[in-house]
Amino acid sequence: MSSLATSQGAEQTAQSMPGQPRRNPFPNSASGSETSSPRRTRDNVNGWGFAAPFLAFFLVFLVWPLLYGLYMSLTGKSLTGANDSLIGLANYAEALADADMWHSLGNTLYFTVISTVPLVLVALAMAALVNVGLPAQWLWRLSYFAPYLLASTVVSLFFSWMYNPQLGLINDSLAKIGLPKVAWLNDPNVAMWSIVIATLWWTVGFNFLLYLAAMQNIPAQHYEAASLDGAGAWRQFFSITLPQLTPTTVMIALLQILASLKIFDQVYQMTAGGPAGSTRPVVQYIFETGFTGYRLGYSAAISYIFFGLIVAVSAMQFFITRRRSA
Amino acid sequence: MKQFDFFAGKQLSGKQVSRRQLLAGTAALGSVFAAAGLTGCGGTASAAAVRDIAFWHLLSGGDGIKMQAMIRAANGANPGFKVHPTVLAWGPPYYTKLAMASAGGRPPELAIMHASRVPGYAPGGLIDPWDMSLLAEHGVTAESFAPRIWDKSQHDGNVFSIALDSHPFVMFYNTDVAGKAGVLAANGQLQEVTSPQDFLAMAREMQKVTQAHGLSFGYLGSGSQMWRLFYTLYKQHGADMELTPGQPMKADRDAAVESLAFMASLFDDTVAAKSGDIGTGIAEFARGGSGMLFSGVWELPTFKKADLPVDAATIPTLYGTPASYADSHSFVLPRQLNVDDEKRRDVYKFVSDMLKGSLSWAEAGHIPAYQPIVQSQAYRELTPQIHYASAADIIAYDPEAWFSGSGSDWQTYFAENVQNVLLGRDKAADGWDAFVRRTNTLLSRPNPV
Repeated sequence: MSSLATSQGAEQTAQSMPGQPRRNPFPNSASGSETSSPRRTRDNVNGWGFAAPFLAFFLVFLVWPLLYGLYMSLTGKSLTGANDSLIGLANYAEALADADMWHSLGNTLYFTVISTVPLVLVALAMAALVNVGLPAQWLWRLSYFAPYLLASTVVSLFFSWMYNPQLGLINDSLAKIGLPKVAWLNDPNVAMWSIVIATLWWTVGFNFLLYLAAMQNIPAQHYEAASLDGAGAWRQFFSITLPQLTPTTVMIALLQILASLKIFDQVYQMTAGGPAGSTRPVVQYIFETGFTGYRLGYSAAISYIFFGLIVAVSAMQFFITRRRSA
Repeated sequence: MKQFDFFAGKQLSGKQVSRRQLLAGTAALGSVFAAAGLTGCGGTASAAAVRDIAFWHLLSGGDGIKMQAMIRAANGANPGFKVHPTVLAWGPPYYTKLAMASAGGRPPELAIMHASRVPGYAPGGLIDPWDMSLLAEHGVTAESFAPRIWDKSQHDGNVFSIALDSHPFVMFYNTDVAGKAGVLAANGQLQEVTSPQDFLAMAREMQKVTQAHGLSFGYLGSGSQMWRLFYTLYKQHGADMELTPGQPMKADRDAAVESLAFMASLFDDTVAAKSGDIGTGIAEFARGGSGMLFSGVWELPTFKKADLPVDAATIPTLYGTPASYADSHSFVLPRQLNVDDEKRRDVYKFVSDMLKGSLSWAEAGHIPAYQPIVQSQAYRELTPQIHYASAADIIAYDPEAWFSGSGSDWQTYFAENVQNVLLGRDKAADGWDAFVRRTNTLLSRPNPV
């Protein structure tokens, strides 16, 4: 309260100073009611006017579906409109006992773990290589980042052909050097890794750019001083670069975890969840139960369970970053 | 009405609209509005006389081109209406969109569905029953269809679908390869085999000719493919399968396990490739890398186009009872929020025209459902279509349930449980039991339709 009073006092001072227009960047109802000058009212109206399109979208496409979805998860609603009476937490109880839900959630978590580690480490290695000062830097940056610009359908088609057991480029190359063929997308033990490889190729460029930008912000004096003290390249990397990159690494890892949790497109297009359900992520299970299985209420309940998981990860991100900045 | 042509997709026109054409079109549209303004309300009466009928289907490739030609012919013969097709991707994308459009009350006036998917739509009120008296006005009655196909169109005493065809799972064979392997009969068609051992022996003879494989059957990652062959073999045991919500699945376990074990024995890299998906299977057969292919009749145009010496037959009866997995492309009436009676009458006329014009549909490989076509001399002269026309008498549709049918998740669940059996990693009995457990889970859950 005291800080609010102080800031208002400062505003009023500023307002009384001739020739210096006052702009309150965070108008709120409290300050609005305390000062009822026509100008402030007009500012408020204008502010709401500018925010209105976003607010309308936010309410219609985010808040309303969120609430409606929550309501739906408490009903037995079907796509045909049947059984939309309230059934309490029955859908949640069924979901928690549903082996397929747990299996698909497990697949999502497995993908998240095995994709996040290489997506962070490979991006770091790529950024370090480019930052060393290779010639034709633009070429490296372009070739590392370009795949990120492709649509998931393109990437999936491209890799489906490369992974084709009979005609694919990869098995053909393996055969030429005398190695056995691998059923890339058809072996339950291999399929998820195949999708990780495709995802790595496709999306690592984004993390690479973040790392490269962070590396280029490390002051050159640190390296100069280290060189004068006789530190070699590896020593400099581990003692200067890596510690300086820690905030970036935390951010990349958490953003990557959230992105990986939402896996759907490439799996749906490359394996449709198979073989033997070994790659079906929870988002696909939600889609199947709701849209091809018609059970919208049940599907909404699984969505909310997954939503809870993502909120938990986001909360973890919040606490980690807050602790770091404190 | 030109704007609908854009939505109809690439089949109508691959041409790009140039800026000049667009401007010319806009100018022309402007002058139409101006003329309408001058002549008052009565001026547009002649333009409104042509009623637009939206029609969704899932037929692409060679089928799509045939369907487009048939629609164009029907439109040409009926100046009162114009049918505008929208083509959507086969499988879950099509059925999801159709269900959602119907649930929302604004679906197309007419749609194609697989007959096996109707039990998932009819009880939930997503489609309307047909009024056979209106179809009879155009000469189409129950007698116009083969009994198995007609029975399939019924649900709770109503007619919910009008079949255009039946498209069974059949065996294509390369007559050159079969001739060199010495497995052709005196009539120039493949010798009859009546047991799994005889079939494997015949395939091995063909393999000696091709030096690659005797049989092509792409199945990896495709629940539909695995199910089509499995269900054919299962039904050849004379076995039945029943899916009743709230009760465990009723099936003949021995027949199922034997069918799966036989399928697994095919993939030994001599009879058939161990790891082949549907695309590689068809490609292998089309380039002469094998003597036989198990696939749907709709692949016929591909092989004709490739100038392959191809003939076809029903899948050999290996377990005593002739049977063949099949489905039917059927016309359905998605439930409208407000039915336009005039348009609905047009739909009846259009469907009867399509049935009567289904000889050209037969050219795409399908067996027409409309009996006057099947009995016509023109159809009898179509080879190899006539060599498997008898399949219409032995076809087996999927067991009925809200979750079964072509392109359904249930077929995907089948693949999930038996693919490892076919790859030789799991026992047939274990794969089958796991599929039964998965099916029982579905049957135990609330029925959403």
